[in-house]
Amino acid sequence: MRGLIELWGVFVSTIAGMIRGGRPKGEIVRQMHAIGNKSMLFIAVTLGFIGMVMIYQACMQFNRVTGDLSQVGVQFIRLVTSDFAPTLTGMMLATRVGAGIAAEIGSMKVTEQVDALRMSGVLPVDYLIVPRFIASVVMTVVLTTLGGAIMYVAGGLTAHYQFGVNLKIFFDLSLLNPAHLSLGLVKAVTYGAAIPVVSGFCGLRAKGSSEGVGWATTAAVIGSSLAVLLLDFILSVAGFFVLGEALR
Amino acid sequence: MIELAAVRKRFGRHAVLDGIDLQVPTGARLGIIGPAASGKSVLLKLVCGLLRPDAGQVMIDGTDITERSEEGLAATRARIGFLFQNYALFDFMTVGDNVAFPLARRGGLAEDEIARRVSARLRAVGLAGNEAKMPAELSGGMKKRVGIARATIAHPEIVIYDEPTAGLDPVTTSKVYDLLRADQETTGATVIAVSSDVEALCRFVDTVAFLYQGKIRYQGAAQTLTDAPDPVVRQFVRGDLEGPLEG
Amino acid sequence: MFGFVERAITQVGTTTVRIAREVGGIVVLAFDVLRALFPPTLDGRELVKNLYKMGNQSVPIVALTAFFAGGLMLVQSAPFVEKLQAHALAGWAAGYAVLREIGPILIALMFSGRVGANNTAELGTMTVTEQLDGLRALAIDPIRYLIVPRVVAMVVMLLALTVIGDLVALVGAAITAKAVVGIEFSTFIHSVVDNLKPYDFLHGIYKSMVFGASIALTSCYFGVTVRGGAVGVGRAVNAAVVAAAVSVMLLDFFMTYWLG
Repeated sequence: MRGLIELWGVFVSTIAGMIRGGRPKGEIVRQMHAIGNKSMLFIAVTLGFIGMVMIYQACMQFNRVTGDLSQVGVQFIRLVTSDFAPTLTGMMLATRVGAGIAAEIGSMKVTEQVDALRMSGVLPVDYLIVPRFIASVVMTVVLTTLGGAIMYVAGGLTAHYQFGVNLKIFFDLSLLNPAHLSLGLVKAVTYGAAIPVVSGFCGLRAKGSSEGVGWATTAAVIGSSLAVLLLDFILSVAGFFVLGEALR
Repeated sequence: MIELAAVRKRFGRHAVLDGIDLQVPTGARLGIIGPAASGKSVLLKLVCGLLRPDAGQVMIDGTDITERSEEGLAATRARIGFLFQNYALFDFMTVGDNVAFPLARRGGLAEDEIARRVSARLRAVGLAGNEAKMPAELSGGMKKRVGIARATIAHPEIVIYDEPTAGLDPVTTSKVYDLLRADQETTGATVIAVSSDVEALCRFVDTVAFLYQGKIRYQGAAQTLTDAPDPVVRQFVRGDLEGPLEG
Repeated sequence: MFGFVERAITQVGTTTVRIAREVGGIVVLAFDVLRALFPPTLDGRELVKNLYKMGNQSVPIVALTAFFAGGLMLVQSAPFVEKLQAHALAGWAAGYAVLREIGPILIALMFSGRVGANNTAELGTMTVTEQLDGLRALAIDPIRYLIVPRVVAMVVMLLALTVIGDLVALVGAAITAKAVVGIEFSTFIHSVVDNLKPYDFLHGIYKSMVFGASIALTSCYFGVTVRGGAVGVGRAVNAAVVAAAVSVMLLDFFMTYWLG
């Protein structure tokens, strides 16, 4: 419980730190590269394959029950935009980016580099977490878009070549509306914000030597994955009630 | 003047510091010794507010720093230079940027002026022309000296050295202490140093405090340490196997 | 311009070589483990110790994950269910997705983040402190003594966790159905029992066994190949969880086709 309060404190001071400034020059771009570019292949491969699997399972099931596959595409793109793309991207980034951030900041903590920053009047949150926070929010949205597109295309090709669904019927965007897009965008931004805060917090709490860094890395992966799931649940339920009609 | 009054600090159940009273007059050189894990580093970090005490006061020139916020401590920390036990060099910066960091953060100086001071400082520690190297390319002794350069670049009024010579060979150790002494004599800074190498430390500092079981067990002149009346101190300093010293 | 192209090609080349080397190393390790299992001379004490520790580490996290995963699948299907006014379909849709895909995958990812990462860090620390060489010097085969019990324990444990997780996820879905959409428990249970076959459950369970093996092998491989001290251990943990995530997704794809 005390951990959660401290975590909230890190989030608040991250937001305050964005206004305060005091981050190193060019750091945001460097972090965008580390978080975004280096995760592209990872996101593309994992979301592509899961897109194929989902369509395969859905078509199998529809075949078993109704045999009408014309609805698969239109329903799939709604689920991809409003949930699968942001959440699966978030889960994958929680693993890759969360572990990376915690390992970096954690090793700075145990080698007293964080204390050395503080001795020069630098707030570690401003210097270390804020640039990663901004980069992560932007890049999560970008990667969600990329991952969603790949998922959709991979799913469409699976439906066409495995189940003979007409491509025109599958790639029909007419039932997609702004409600799905905005719910997806809100989720992507939220996960993008949560992952660096949770993992940065775990990194700053690292103690001891190499074991401490290992602990921080594991805790960051689990913590940010759980955060993504929990936020997804909250946002999905909220979306269901707030956007209700529009999502149907 | 640095004053600690009835300072207590515990981690979990273990009381690391259990009522510390200590005064360091301006311009003095104090050495702190004690068994491993006796809280020497903790004491140093309390002095500059990197850790906060559970009870008691830490006063620098008459003002209590224990109640200050992290932002409020910045002004105090700007007057302190700190050499960390494991150098704590920023491994993502060049040596030059590391040394320049405290000056650059303070602002108000042109870049070429900072660069000039950095190269002068690196020359003073015997590392002229190493600005562009990364910390990973340096040996342990060189890293220590870069750390010293970074701790002293902004002419701090108080300098804190945590194990300035740990892991260095005897010749390098002498060189490092010569450097520290020369530095202190030109700036007149207040110095607090922690070291496990008691003999070398005693040649550098004026007074020595012996930290034992959470308290300052003994404080006295560095020269007469081996003749201290307290048998625990005597045993520790001489490295005897038999005696009252625990664990 | 050409400099950029050249860099890009170099990057693709080195990445390919690195991935090939890692996959090769993991496959070799898999064969070593299989060979060590015949005849089955498993160190029972080591196995029980690992099972206990891994279960302790992961049961709460897996239960929490499964609960929300079940709830989530229900919320995702809710707009569709509401539109068709087909409350009887909710349990079927959520259950199908949870048992076959979401349950095994999410539980495997969490298991990899908790148990797999911890295992890599542990073996990695042993490697950098030369404890593996110490075992070899005593004529003890590290694969037989250290790796095999861990691999077996992880496969068994993930299997057990998926069984538990599936149940928890269905409970989560049922509670969410009641709380969010207002579907009665009896309607939900009927929907699950009438529409889902035991094979849907087994489909997920078979997958979890393969996931367990791949997580175990990747995490052990990255653990024993650590180089470069404490920083190396952190890097290895990072690489292990990423590799495990990719392998889970790829294997899920092939298993889905194969199992049908």
